[in-house]
Amino acid sequence: MSVGVSVRVFARLKLRVLGNGLRGKGWRIALFVLGCVSGLWFAVVGFTVFALSAVDRGPAFGLLIPAFGGAFLVLGWLVIPVLWSGVDETLEPARFALLPLTRRTLVAGLLVAALLGIPAIATLVATSGLVVGAGARGGVLAAVVALVGVILGLLECMVLSRAVTSAFASLLRARRTRDLAAVALALVAALVGPLQVFGFAALQNTGADRLVRPAEVLGWTPLAAPYVVGFDAAAGRWLAVGARILITVATILLLMWWWSHSLASAMLGASSGGSVRARRRVEAGGPVAQLFPRLLRGAPRTAYGALVAREVRYWWRDARRRANLITFVAVALFLPLMSTVGFAKLTGQAGGPDGGPEGGPFLLSGAVLLVGSLAAIMLANQFGLDGTAYAGHLIAGVPGRVELRARAVGFSLYVVPTLVAVTLIVVAGTGRPGLGPSTLGGLLAAYGTGLAVNLVVSVLAPYSLPESSNPFAIKTGAGMAKSMLAMLAMGGAIVATLPVIVAAGFVPDAWSWVLLVLGTAYGVAAAGAGIAGAGRLLDRRAPEVLAAVTPGR
Amino acid sequence: MVGGMDTPALALRGLVKRFDTTLAVAGVDLDVAPGSFFGLLGPNGAGKTTTLSMAVGLLRPDAGRAFVLGHDVWSDPVEAKRLLGVLPDGVRLFDRLTGAELLAYTGLLRGMDPAEVDLRSRELLDVFALGAAGRTLVVDYSAGMKKKVGLACALLHAPRLLVLDEPFEAVDPVSGALIRDILTRYVHGGGTVIFSSHVLEVVERLCSHVAILTAGKITTVGTLDGVRGERSLEDVFVEVVGGRVATGHELSWL
Repeated sequence: MSVGVSVRVFARLKLRVLGNGLRGKGWRIALFVLGCVSGLWFAVVGFTVFALSAVDRGPAFGLLIPAFGGAFLVLGWLVIPVLWSGVDETLEPARFALLPLTRRTLVAGLLVAALLGIPAIATLVATSGLVVGAGARGGVLAAVVALVGVILGLLECMVLSRAVTSAFASLLRARRTRDLAAVALALVAALVGPLQVFGFAALQNTGADRLVRPAEVLGWTPLAAPYVVGFDAAAGRWLAVGARILITVATILLLMWWWSHSLASAMLGASSGGSVRARRRVEAGGPVAQLFPRLLRGAPRTAYGALVAREVRYWWRDARRRANLITFVAVALFLPLMSTVGFAKLTGQAGGPDGGPEGGPFLLSGAVLLVGSLAAIMLANQFGLDGTAYAGHLIAGVPGRVELRARAVGFSLYVVPTLVAVTLIVVAGTGRPGLGPSTLGGLLAAYGTGLAVNLVVSVLAPYSLPESSNPFAIKTGAGMAKSMLAMLAMGGAIVATLPVIVAAGFVPDAWSWVLLVLGTAYGVAAAGAGIAGAGRLLDRRAPEVLAAVTPGR
Repeated sequence: MVGGMDTPALALRGLVKRFDTTLAVAGVDLDVAPGSFFGLLGPNGAGKTTTLSMAVGLLRPDAGRAFVLGHDVWSDPVEAKRLLGVLPDGVRLFDRLTGAELLAYTGLLRGMDPAEVDLRSRELLDVFALGAAGRTLVVDYSAGMKKKVGLACALLHAPRLLVLDEPFEAVDPVSGALIRDILTRYVHGGGTVIFSSHVLEVVERLCSHVAILTAGKITTVGTLDGVRGERSLEDVFVEVVGGRVATGHELSWL
């Protein structure tokens, strides 16, 4: 079996799988078109930006766009598959485990299959703007060199994302390392925001001229090397062109070697659950006492109490939920820090004119609103998080109202302390203790309203998550559309909370306590109404919810 | 149709379910008499799981009704579900709990007295030899252990009717014998069992009644002896289902 033939087989297989996925499903076709359109949008914008490198503004300007744009792109291919989109496992390596394929054939085949996707094609189109840019600066020869760079860059992106996710897959196979990885990744995700802020601050500090030096450094790393060769060729620096292409090719080969090795272990599949690890600590008491965490020792031993206990355990024990929770807490603590202490002090710049909090009440109110709403949005697909296990509640006949109240309460046991911590940060950041009660009131109002909306969304539009061991795997398709619905609903919730939040931002400190009472009452009343309404809905729709969260239907 | 002694433990009336374009269940009628040990047979994809899911309230039928001891599963679910114990197939348990926690959770969800839950859970864990797993989470259990803990959850509230989807799948011979013994005792004590299975030998050994489901319809139903007559159950099954069981001159290269 020659390599060439096999690669064609892989490509055909990928297209066939994609085609079958679309067959007879209107909404899937619609989502595919949506994906194509957003890919096209990205491609056009990227192309324009990269083609701008042709504009002559100062000697080194042409370097900045390919260097930073290219590095941004490569980092995106590294981070995004792991954090958000999951890996496109249309052709899953484990499926090929039993076929007599050499590792080289498999790597080549999977690479070709990966190239046949919207993200890869969009990346190719976007970066080919560089070809135009180089051509405008240095003629045909420079354009050809840029084209070689663009193709090598695409290969590097593909191999990089595959190698990293494949290595991750084997890391995620054992539950112990998987949980660790989940926590680590959640922290990284949470830090993306702060890093951006510091990045922007640094940008403002330095100005474009001083960016040339980092751009030159980037150009000698695999991050941007393939994308700056066109610029070099246009300037006639052929030695640099050769060196950078060498760097890129070496990187690609190294990554392919790494990938083919991690592929071998990934092919064993994620099905083997790892070693059975008995927890040594034996807790006193019977099964019922074991179910309830120490925190809930006083909870009623009823269906409601059991549900709350299980929710509290799950937010910590389920890797996917824990990753969400950690991300939320990190963001929740960071946002108010930003809006009270401000960019300036955090980044060591000179503060505002009076050295006081930057942004004023608007920014703080916005942060409060966002934190409260973000908390609740984690429940938007709460049934999807449990998956088919929800059948257990259906069999036992749990009333919808009890179910939703317990879920809201269980989650709030994590959220409310976080909100209190947020309040303390705001007080410390502004140095105004009087702001504390009104801030907490605003947070609770936003959280309660968010709960009301998201509980309803969770019953109306649940979607299935793959029952894989990878806490980051998601399924594109229905999930995307439905999470957009959650976003829309969130907008409604934010509007409903605005009066309380605005009041919290502008009312004098003396009125602060009134706002705490008001905000709490507002939040509790909204959440109560949400529980009642969504509970009635759930009683009617429970089998439909189960069907929606069952994968593969 | 709430009624007396001869009310069927499970009655299905004209159940229909369609997925997209395929008709998975095409009108199933079935009566399971109280005290019977009922085996539901059928080839792969015949609609066994779909039928049982509709019978216990997990999947809404497109048409038809299901009654548990006279209580409509879809209009009177509370009473029906109280009398019913279910082991679904292809469904996850709340597997981030330990076995003991899962049993306690199930018992409390069913509104049982906590002391009773403790007592029964301990006994079930002992009988199913799951006590040794200690603090291991159910997600780390083997497939057979998961089946056993699922069955323990179905038994916990002492239901009058047990609906079990593939209870013997992935279970080792020792556990299989144990499950057979538990179910036999349960039926002797007045309970009713209906279960689906591929293992004809188990069905032949246990069941008082069998039904064969083919392409979404019940094609044969009756007492075990009535259905099988003088022949083996396998012969009857193959004849009803109508597949081939031997090769002709093909595969000569094998």
